[in-house]
Amino acid sequence: MNSKTGKVMVIGGGIAGLTAAWELSRQNINVELVEKTCFLGGHSIGFTCKATDTCKQCGACSVEEMLANVVNEPLINVHLRTQVSGLEKKEGFSVSLSKSAVEEVAPQSVLKGFSHHNSPLYVVVDGAKDAPEEAVNIESLGSEGAVDVDAVVVATGYTPFDPNIKSTYGYDKWDNVITGLDLENIIRENGSLVRPSDGEKPKRIAFIQCVGSRDERLGNLWCSEVCCPYAMRMAGVAKNADPEAEISMFYIDIQNSGKEFPVFYERIKEDVRFVRTIPVDIYPLEGDSLELRHMAEDEGMPSSEQFDLVVLSVGLMPGMDTAKISEILNIPVNQDGFLDIPAGDSGVFVAGTAGGPGSIAATIAGAGNVALATMNYLGGSK
Amino acid sequence: MIAEKSSKTIEVQINKDVLVVGAGKAGLGAAAQIAAQGYKAVVIGNKTTCACGAGCSKEMQEAGLVEIQDGASLVAIAGVAGDFRATLGKGEETCEATFGAVVVAPQYTSVALNSNYGLALNDKVITQSQMEALLADDAGKEKLINGSGSTVAFLSGFGQEGDPAATGRVLESALAVQKLENCRSYIYAGNVKVGGKGLERLFTQGRNEGVVCFKPKTMPTIEQDRDKLKIVITDPVVRADVELEPDYVVVEEGVVVGPNNLTIAQTLGIDTDVDGFLPSNNVHRFPVKSNREGIYVAQNDVDAANVALQVKSLIGDGVRTLTEDIAVVDDSKCVICLTCYRCCPHGAIFWKDGAAVISPAACQGCGICASECPMDAIQLGDFTDADLKSGVKEAVASVADATPSIVAFCCKNSALEAGEAAAQFGHEMPAGFRMVKVPCAGKVDVELIMNALVEGADGVMVAACHEGNCKAERGNIYAGWRVEEIRQRLENMGLNKDRVVFTTIASNMAREFACKVNEFAEKL
Repeated sequence: MNSKTGKVMVIGGGIAGLTAAWELSRQNINVELVEKTCFLGGHSIGFTCKATDTCKQCGACSVEEMLANVVNEPLINVHLRTQVSGLEKKEGFSVSLSKSAVEEVAPQSVLKGFSHHNSPLYVVVDGAKDAPEEAVNIESLGSEGAVDVDAVVVATGYTPFDPNIKSTYGYDKWDNVITGLDLENIIRENGSLVRPSDGEKPKRIAFIQCVGSRDERLGNLWCSEVCCPYAMRMAGVAKNADPEAEISMFYIDIQNSGKEFPVFYERIKEDVRFVRTIPVDIYPLEGDSLELRHMAEDEGMPSSEQFDLVVLSVGLMPGMDTAKISEILNIPVNQDGFLDIPAGDSGVFVAGTAGGPGSIAATIAGAGNVALATMNYLGGSK
Repeated sequence: MIAEKSSKTIEVQINKDVLVVGAGKAGLGAAAQIAAQGYKAVVIGNKTTCACGAGCSKEMQEAGLVEIQDGASLVAIAGVAGDFRATLGKGEETCEATFGAVVVAPQYTSVALNSNYGLALNDKVITQSQMEALLADDAGKEKLINGSGSTVAFLSGFGQEGDPAATGRVLESALAVQKLENCRSYIYAGNVKVGGKGLERLFTQGRNEGVVCFKPKTMPTIEQDRDKLKIVITDPVVRADVELEPDYVVVEEGVVVGPNNLTIAQTLGIDTDVDGFLPSNNVHRFPVKSNREGIYVAQNDVDAANVALQVKSLIGDGVRTLTEDIAVVDDSKCVICLTCYRCCPHGAIFWKDGAAVISPAACQGCGICASECPMDAIQLGDFTDADLKSGVKEAVASVADATPSIVAFCCKNSALEAGEAAAQFGHEMPAGFRMVKVPCAGKVDVELIMNALVEGADGVMVAACHEGNCKAERGNIYAGWRVEEIRQRLENMGLNKDRVVFTTIASNMAREFACKVNEFAEKL
């Protein structure tokens, strides 16, 4: 029995942390859920539905549902804008919390949550104008001091690959070169797919896969797993919204999306032109279009094509706090820079993409597994 | 879950034993996790692996927490979550037992896909498993080295779309062969499925060791002439045919559903996906739930843990609190036409003493049965017809006379969420737009829609989950049919059918929902 306080700390409020917290609370275990930013939900709460009238099993709505579960659960105590700054191993753990730096979590002076289940929905930094009435001042958020818990679940997630590292794609230079995450925001804000430069519907769209993943030169020897399914689903959404759209996908190997993948893949092949090559570079053309240069698949010769919008499928990199967390909690890091699985009797557990890439569905399943392991460590629920 | 306004609750004692159908690694793993939570797991099926190795320790078995009935099968099942009454068979004998929950651990069959390549298996054309067996011991390795070394060609992903598990096996073997003295590995792959932990690193390691990987666009042509093998592909880079005469061709193995899979699914009344695998491909069931309360599916260790969590939540200490009036049949109206029994997606309806009975232990409250019942004999506690009608009346009355009123029947799982979010985010919506909450679009019947028109709604929208995303599997489909029926009726009456529309939306798509509503309002 390792249960003294009857409490577990979950670090990270993305889908892994939310699921772990929710599953623990369902077994009557108190949870201290610590989230660095001002909002729960992580990356995936910002993802749009990929249904093309029929559901494509992306799992985005599951994140929404899990967030609603967590915010309505009294056994889960949420600490927004809070970081773990130290840990002392006693009978259980004494975890020191501190407020996240404003400049780190507030890139703008008014912040908006992605889901209406986010509470608060708006956060403002001092002195900001035009803030909605119900906005909460960032200074009122954040916890400090030590919290005693029996076990710790680390769910600190991933960091999207910085596309500027692949400088020949001109992400920082050309408006219409965007990442998959940017595309999510565009669709959320507009209700449909438009390109950034002029708000027009793009006719020719390119997806470039493996931006930052499977890249020996960068030393990134892993497949991010989620980008192929993601890009294919997004391409399906674009084609469904505009049957005239011409969509190309530049890839190395197409990865599976989960159940019923062969059926899904065959169908998407009707909508998308798959080109097995990774483009070299992108140049701007008149009228906000882009020229994309690559080795033509069949001729083995350099070729170029014109697109209205280029979407970079940026990979999943180790979370930016991984090194810090690894040091504070004494968790080994694997050769790719993700967290390893801690020893079973350490009382520290790792859930979600902090341990390596995974889809929403895989993360939910994995976080359930971690919740059970945590319960078993505590000696069962009360 | 957000509490509904209801209602009458009762406490029932439930059975704490769990039936596990399938005695392979996944089934025994699930049994171990369940037993670790203090529940007894009874495992049936053909035991294919060591129970202790799968986690079912001797202590668990001696303590009676895991009971393995090797060779037993599920003949029939009755009852509901908390009280499943199973008939188990072994040989000629059958016995009855009661369980609180059921776990299915489907067994898969591995098949060599040589015929998909037009190849016959022999000592040179072998399966992935046979290659692994060769590599497992020194004699096998010697056979491969065979003095001057062998050339081995691995086929992957053309016979069937591959997966990371299968790819991992190919990559491991190809690397192992390459490392043998004078041996060379070639992989002919469709898509190299490196979407699994460590696989890209393994793939890179293989290439660095000299494994050659070809990715032809179409299945390679393979000539098999007695002992002579020849593989021809067109290489896109050198733009020429590339020929290889390997000593061995290793064909991939595909995973297909086991022979009993469908029978088990039918016996338990649970849905499969299009390929026949359990459970159905519905995100609300991920990772281990089925369409029936108390029946779960486990395919691996992670699932086993999630099954244990579900079992623990369901069974707890053996007492379950149920809401008695989620859905209730008025037995004076019921004529046992079995419509409700047939349309219930959750296997919650039975009949007793001349009337249908809805089990509160299995009912999910979607209301499809209430809408389909030709006698109007079923009412939901939280969503009675009277409640919904007064909701519609209020909605229409709250809109100013000069403003067109739109009544939207919104599924609480999707459209209601999206609508509430749209309001909170301040997305512009028509002034006369009003949402009426329904448990599932499947609860919205023709009468309710007509009632909204009679009350004076200028437009009626039925907003459901996307197809394949309905928690009640088919509630959205029923709703779509009913809207179509009304549109036909309106047209036949010479009225504008576009006053009634059906739409689907996800819970997290507030802006899209606002766009759809505004578009509808404009057309009105």
